Amino acid sequence: MEAIRNYLETMFANLPNTPEVLRAKNELWQMMEDKYNELIADGKSDNEAVGTVIAEFGNLDEISEDLGIRNVVSGTQDITRRQVTMEEVKKYLHESSNYAFKISLGVFLCISSPIGAILSEAASFSSLVGLFFLMAFVATAVILFVHSSIRIHRWDFLKQELCTIDFATTNYVNDQKERYNPTYALLMTVGIVLCVISFVPAAIIDELDISFFGFDTDDMAGVLLFVFVATGVFMIVLSYNINNTYTTILKLNNASTVSGNYVSSQHPETKYISPAAASIMSVYWQTVTCIYLIWSFLTFNWHYTWIIWPIAGIISGVLNSAFKKN
Amino acid sequence: MNSISSDVIRGYNDTIILFLLLQHPSYGYEISKQIKTLTEEKYIIKETTLYSAFTRMEKNGYIESFSSNKDGSGKRRTYYRITEAGRQYYKDKCAEWNLTKEVIENFILKEDNYGSNQELS
Repeated sequence: MEAIRNYLETMFANLPNTPEVLRAKNELWQMMEDKYNELIADGKSDNEAVGTVIAEFGNLDEISEDLGIRNVVSGTQDITRRQVTMEEVKKYLHESSNYAFKISLGVFLCISSPIGAILSEAASFSSLVGLFFLMAFVATAVILFVHSSIRIHRWDFLKQELCTIDFATTNYVNDQKERYNPTYALLMTVGIVLCVISFVPAAIIDELDISFFGFDTDDMAGVLLFVFVATGVFMIVLSYNINNTYTTILKLNNASTVSGNYVSSQHPETKYISPAAASIMSVYWQTVTCIYLIWSFLTFNWHYTWIIWPIAGIISGVLNSAFKKN
Repeated sequence: MNSISSDVIRGYNDTIILFLLLQHPSYGYEISKQIKTLTEEKYIIKETTLYSAFTRMEKNGYIESFSSNKDGSGKRRTYYRITEAGRQYYKDKCAEWNLTKEVIENFILKEDNYGSNQELS
């Protein structure tokens, strides 16, 4: 049955995504499915049944006239797309997850780099030791960034060239994505919660005035803050990047053909009411980040500039519902 | 056994389908199965041929489609039923075939006249 489905999807993959074409595909699928089921009920083997169904399918040329797709069927369009095989996709998924992990680890190291400095200062070592720790963390992060970026570079064609994947591959990736979804949701949630509550342990320690192994409470509070934020951001960056990997693959097909329908019907891309709205939304978070950094660095009121984030989140929700096309 | 030439039969796919729809509304696979049985597997209609005939005849108003799951399998299928225009068209096609047969018959040698017992199909 799977073989028949793949056959039909492949035959239709490059046809335009119109109601007539989709209806034709659906009707033909009904007939093929009925025939297959009956052959199996008659005691034929799976191979025989698939062979008979495909042999008796006919030729799309015959229906091209009714569908107004004559020039497409004869193959004048869409031949420049690069076919990405199942093996390539599996390899990409593997390497890309690896990349996501290294990048997230790099971010983690960058954020937690002051920890070493704080601790060595608290232990009243020379400030050189603290600087050494800081540099070591950042240097490791840079190595991770550069190395993994170069490694992932060879997959750039997925984003730069027109590519296409077949139905079986789409199914496989979609399946993987579904399976990853609970992990994604968990990592995202815990990550965000960690960032939000990052100041809580610091506040508690400060309040109770507990001393850890002779370290100053202020130092300890700082260390915990960095650990929470770094861990939270690590989780967010990792899960977001891995999820993105699946989306990249699933978006490869030409959306104006039947093959573009494999997934887009389940995960429609956001459409905005006007190009202006779309361009505003595309730079929204970058702008917010800019405002946050400028405001914070100018005033050094880091303890309350963070209020920008929840406010920006609410505004983003409002804008999205106002600009989104149904 | 010679296989049937699709060029020859093409003009009569409509007749075949309309004949089956005259009895009761039906769906794609049932029609293709009936054609296979009635012709003792001498003619097996391709899925694309069948679908193309459906869309063409629907456009011309000879048949109508509707969705139903009345065969009890719980699966929704597209059924087709014949219209009044379809019945008229079927009659015309039958008349056309009788004429065609009459004309062509004049040019077909009788079996014993060409010296072999080759089967005509």
